[in-house]
Formats: sequence, C-alpha cells, structure tokens
Amino acid sequence: MPDKIAVFKDVSYKYPRSDDFVLLDLNLEIYEGEFLGIIGSTGVGKTTICLALNGIVPQFYGGRFFGSVHVGGLDTVEHPISAMANYVGQVFEDPETQLISTSVENEIAFALENLKVSREVIIERIPQALSAVRLEGTEKKHPHELSGGQKQRLAIAAAIAVQPSLLILDEPTSQLDPVGAEEVFATAHELNQELDMTIVMASHSAEEMAAFADRIALVSNGQIVAIGPPDEIYADIEILESNDLRPPQVANTFYSINKRGISVPKIPVNLNDALPMLDSLSELSQSAEFILSDPEEVTGEALLSVKDLAHVYPDGTKALHGVSVDIAKGEYVLIIGQNGAGKSTLVKHFLNLLQPTEGVVKVGDVDTEEVSVSDLARRIGYVAQNPDNQIFNASVGEEIAFALKNLDFDDEEVETRTVESLEAMGLTEVRDMHPLALPKGDRARVVIGAILAMKPEIIIFDEPTTGQDYRGAKYILEISRDLHKMGKTVIVITHHLYLMPEYAERVVVMGKGTILLDDVIRKAFHETETLKSTYLSAPQAVHLSQEMQKLNSAFPPLLTPGEFADYFAFEGSAS
Amino acid sequence: MSMMKFQTVERDSFFSRLDFRPKLFMVAVVTIVAFVWESPMLQIGLAGTITVACLLVGVKWSYIRTILLIMIPFYALLLLTHAFFNRDQVMALRGIESVNQLSRVFTFPENWPFIGGSFATWEGLNYGFNVIFKTLTLTLIIPLAVFTTEVDNMIVGMVRAKIPYKIAFIFSSTLRFFPLLIEEFSMIIEAQRLRGLAMEKMRPIKRVRVYAKVAVPLILGALVKSQQLEVVLQSKAFSGSPDRTYLHESILRPSDYALIIFFVLFFIAAFYLLIAFGIGTFGGPI
Repeated sequence: MPDKIAVFKDVSYKYPRSDDFVLLDLNLEIYEGEFLGIIGSTGVGKTTICLALNGIVPQFYGGRFFGSVHVGGLDTVEHPISAMANYVGQVFEDPETQLISTSVENEIAFALENLKVSREVIIERIPQALSAVRLEGTEKKHPHELSGGQKQRLAIAAAIAVQPSLLILDEPTSQLDPVGAEEVFATAHELNQELDMTIVMASHSAEEMAAFADRIALVSNGQIVAIGPPDEIYADIEILESNDLRPPQVANTFYSINKRGISVPKIPVNLNDALPMLDSLSELSQSAEFILSDPEEVTGEALLSVKDLAHVYPDGTKALHGVSVDIAKGEYVLIIGQNGAGKSTLVKHFLNLLQPTEGVVKVGDVDTEEVSVSDLARRIGYVAQNPDNQIFNASVGEEIAFALKNLDFDDEEVETRTVESLEAMGLTEVRDMHPLALPKGDRARVVIGAILAMKPEIIIFDEPTTGQDYRGAKYILEISRDLHKMGKTVIVITHHLYLMPEYAERVVVMGKGTILLDDVIRKAFHETETLKSTYLSAPQAVHLSQEMQKLNSAFPPLLTPGEFADYFAFEGSAS
Repeated sequence: MSMMKFQTVERDSFFSRLDFRPKLFMVAVVTIVAFVWESPMLQIGLAGTITVACLLVGVKWSYIRTILLIMIPFYALLLLTHAFFNRDQVMALRGIESVNQLSRVFTFPENWPFIGGSFATWEGLNYGFNVIFKTLTLTLIIPLAVFTTEVDNMIVGMVRAKIPYKIAFIFSSTLRFFPLLIEEFSMIIEAQRLRGLAMEKMRPIKRVRVYAKVAVPLILGALVKSQQLEVVLQSKAFSGSPDRTYLHESILRPSDYALIIFFVLFFIAAFYLLIAFGIGTFGGPI
C-alpha cells in the first residue's frame, strides 16, 4: 500500500454566517500517486474538501473547524497557506478568473515568484511546465488568446511548476466544450501516470472519471458515503441515483438490463469493458413489446428561416458561411458543435444582435434586420447561460413584469401576464422575494418566466446545462419540455448530448461555420463520424447500439439506456 | 470573438525597448512642466511633440482621434468659459488693471436677451488654448509611456522605482480584469435589450437610469469574481509582500540613462527660462 499523502481526520466545518456544517466528521485518506475522484451533487462539500487540502479552509474563510487535515505530514491549520502552496497545487472551475497574469510565462512564474524561487530556476521551470501540458511555444501569449481547454491546461501548468506533491482540480471541465474537457482529463491522466503526481479531482463527468480515476469518493451532506474503485462506485446505480448523480451511460444500460430480469455477470462502467458482454446479449431475442418511439416529424411553414447566411467579424474571422436552415413552429431543435463552430453566431442572427454579411434571416415573414432587437424580443425569447446576468429587479414580480413594461403594455395586461407567468413557472408564492435570494435553479425559472411573459413563439436556451450538476441540468431541460408542450418552438444549444434524447427532436450539427448535418435526433446521433469531425462524442448508449449492430444487423439504432433495456425479451416476457 | 484588450503598440521602437523607469520619469517631468507653463504657444508645441511621438512609436491614430472626439465638447466648453468669463485671472497674469484694456474678439449685441453685451476676450481665448493643450499633453503622455511597455516590465519597473508591490499588482490586475468587467457589462445590456428594452429610442436620462440598473448584476458578478480571485491568489502563495523574486528584470541601459539625462536637462532648461526670461509665462516672450 503506498504512503498516505493527505489525511482528513474527523473534520467538521461550518462557513461563517452559515447554520449548517458543510463537512461533518469527514474521514479520508489520500495515497501517493493515486488519482482520486470526488463526486457528489452541488453543495455537498466537494469544493470545501479541495480548499481544506491547502488550508484556505479554514485559514482564509474563517468559520468553525474541527478535526485535522494533514498534507505531507503538515497540519493545514498550523501552517500558513503560502507554505502549503509548496505542497499543494490547485486548479479551479472558471478558466477566466483563475488566470491572473497578462502572459502565459508570467502566469506560471507568479506562484514561484511569491515562493521566492530564484529567477534562474523560474526560467528553467516555465518550459518544463508548458511541455507537461503540451503548451510549448505559447510563453509570450496573452491568456485571452488561448482556448478554454488551453486556459485550464495553463492553470495546471502554473500549479505543477511549483512541483507540488498533490494536484487538486475542482470541476476543471464544467465550463469547457468536449474538446477542452478531453484535453484536461488527458493532461491530468498523463501527469498521474508519467510523473506519478497525486491527483484529486472533483467532477460531474461520470464517463471520464470512470475511465481515469483509481478511486472514487462519493460525498453526501459533508460525509464520504462510499469510496472505492470506479467499477464498484459507478456500478452502484441506486446510491448514485439517491444522490442525484448520473452514472456512466454504459453502467446505466447494463443496470437497466439487469433490472429487467436479464442476468448480467457484472455492471461495466467503461465502454471497453462492456463490449465483450454484448456477445451474449446479441443472442437474446427482441421483446414483442418493444417499439421504437420517435416523435412525429414537425412539418409546416418555417417560423425561423435562414438562407445562405454568411458572417464575417470586423477582425476578418469568417464565423459562418453558406448556412441555410428552416425551423417550423412547434419544433424542438438541438444545435451542437465544438466551440467556434458558429452556434452562438447563428443564434445572434436570429435575435438581430448580429447582422448577416450575406444572406437573410427571417422570423415568419419579417427580415430580422428590419426590426429592432427589442421588437424581436416579443417573438424570440433568449435564456443565456448565467441567470444572474439577466436579473435586474428587486422582486420576482417586478422581474417578470420588466419586459412587459418595456414593451409598453397597459397596467392591466402587465398584471394579467405577470400572474400567468408566475403560475406557469410555479413562482406565485415567491412573487415579492428578491430573485437573488432564490436558489440558482429557481433564478433560472424567474428568467424563463420573465421571457415567457412576452409570449414569444420561439425560446432559445444557450448552454443551459453548462456548470450545472445532473439535477440542475435536468431541472432546466424539464422546463424546456414543458414549454415545448405548450406549443413553443424550442432551440437548445448544449455540449451535453447524453441529456438530450429525452427532449430534442431534431439536431443541427455545426462545424467550422457551416451546417454539417441536419436530421432527426435518432439519425443524427448515429452519424458518429460527423459528430467526431466537430469534436463531439455520441452518448455511450449510441456506441453500444452500433456495436450491437455489428453483431446483429437488425439491431435498431438506440439512443438511451432505457431503450436498450426495453429492447430485449426477458424470461417471462413475449419475444 | 476576441475579448477587448488594452492597447499595446505593435511597432518595435527605441521607445518600446526602454525600461519603464525612464518613462515614468518622463511622465513626471512633462506633467510638471505642462502644469507650470501658461504659454499657449509652448503648450501647443509640447502637445504637438507628444502627439507626434505617440504616432512615431505606434500608438494608433484611431486611438488619438477617439480621445480628441471625446474631448471636443469639453474643449469647446473650456474655450467659451475662458473667452467670456476668465477676466480676473488673465488680467492679473498680464498685469492689466481695467477690463477695457482687454482685447475684444466678439461682442453680443446689446439688445439680445440675457447675453446681450457680453464679450469674448483675446486674452481669455488664449488662456483657454493654454488649458486645452495642457490637458491634451497630460492625456497623451500616459499612452506614450504605458502602451509602449509590456505589463510585466511595467510591474518590475514600478517596483524598482520604489512603488509598493501591492499598488503595482493592483495596476496589473486592473489591466487583466477590467476587460472582463466591460464584457460583463455588455452582456447585461444585451440581456436587457432582449427583454424588450429599446435603448435606441430612449432619452439620455432614461438611458442613465437603465445603466444604473445594470449595477445590480454587475456588482454582484464583480463581488463573486473578486472572492474567487482572492482564493486563487491565496492558493498561489500571494501575500502582497514585496519580498519575492521576479521573472522579469529591470535593467537600465545607456539609452535609458540618455532619456533620463535628456529630461533632467529639459526640466532644468524649462525652469531656468521661466524664471530668468519669463519664457513659459502667460503673456511672456513666447
């Protein structure tokens, strides 16, 4: 057994001005050279565990702290944070706020300068750190010039330049697109395998954690409720679900199959482990009750029409070219693609926030260029990623009425629509509360309610699932489904493809400023090569389904673990 | 789309290769001399020289033009107030005892309501030009020094010039995070427009009220970010202590000494000519 590098002993902690303990009698041992994953829903104490490892909790925050945390034999309460920084490197969630310097080399040098490392040694370590994260040649660049994944890799480089014994990454991929997330996981894996660096990572990315971590610690209400290798923790679907966590799709698929009465020797948590198990499944017959249910294709006149759209930014960047797409009333459309593929640029044309360099965008019969942004807002509602940037008023009621007053509705109409919208979003009881006093999910509901009050025909959700845990992401997507049922046309942009089969009907895949694919979700998600070309990966259930098709050409193109489980005839069912 | 950044000149020049300390010295000397001089002709000469220097080292004309456009209403107001109302000061500076001895440039007809009979003086106008070019010099000397220096070198130069490290760090953090704040401001305004707010149809007072409402999410966002930043700084062993090492060196080369000597001589000459011959005074030989 390797040596312990960090030990939490009976740790309880309460933030100042908080009524509850965020950590409660927590015990945890971290071993040298391991990759420890920390999972748990938002607010259970994952970040606090990370911050306790370098003494920021409690030394910086204050509050009430009981028990002890030792890292490399040093008590994190008794040693100043600056001394702990020699042993513990930390990477945070937001790539923007954690890079504090104006050049890449300065970012790496900053902690070393603070630790009084000599200039000669700093000069030696900069290329070493950049090489470890594959960012060579970027020394003189401004951090703004880097992509999201590169920024997080730079944050890792800055942390490892100090040569810490322990590297902590707190939700490092939650703000990144799939390419960026892959870069960060691959870098952490390499550091762990090649440099034998101990890694502690808190993350919601179940598939990646299952693939890279040696052990997983499941945190709930400030305690470790389960700890073990990924194939033990991620195979325990009940405990994950009871903690609002999403299991890897492959584990969920085999769990669902097992639950249907088909015996599965072991629940795999990685795709590669699952593939050999498909042979026995291919011998099973199809359940007579299985029907592939797809939503009816929505046809009719285009509500939103884009024809030969091109857009060139003032700096010469060609963001869109030759984009043509029609969206009919009542459709639920998913727009996907890597960062820079042109998704946001396209959506900004819908809203007239950008004007076409070439081509036309129409809402109904109206050319968007001919109406103002505010007038267009009556027809298209836009929900941005961060609800807090869209809250301007002192009460929920005022927030809902804000747009209505701007649009010069009379007082009676404002009141009627406000009441309707509050009811539709379940916010009637909090009408007089300050929106910022509500939980994040409810704040998103306030913003959506405010948009709904304008009675728009189209509602666009831009990255609604980014930075959310599983429960938070589902919460917003459920609202999108309700709006769709109300007859609204819904457009969602997200990188989290695994969440969408239950909601979206049609998928527009974008890459390099153009539309690569536009099809119903079942066909689009099975065009795995096209998805790969824009750095997207289909959900694991799709890959499993395609592997099954290699064994049985009649196997249908499935999308979800649920469909997979329903497909097979089990003992006692009709086949 | 790329995020807005503070301007740095792209052109490599004698000036961009200089250490930040001689540039700080230059800023100090030019500022003092511009304050002391009251001669419009010398102020025009100084402002003109600084403008040409800015253009030669690569500060974009579009930037200078923007500054001029922003300042034009302010300059027009300065000129009018000095021409019509600055009597006592110019009379004292020129040793004139009676208002009638001032040279009139323009007089409003007596029968005009409120302003009838008031007049603009040549001396007031001249003093207005002095103030205008003084402010222009002070406005352009900053980009001449700042835009031609990498932020890293600026920090080390400031610390070597005995400016406390904490102040130097706040300066560099402002350069790093101010663009983020501007971007957030634009996003909030955009969110309001998407909620039916027709900024383009608004009167200025209503527009100001809208901007005031932006403060809520903006301040909230800034508070969250500043706390995140504090945690990040803590994790990077930052204590604000000047007892630290620096990656970048600040070494004074012969060209840096040459600039310092030039401005020492300029400073001495300006004060000698001012005291001995009155050159630089209002109404002096030049």
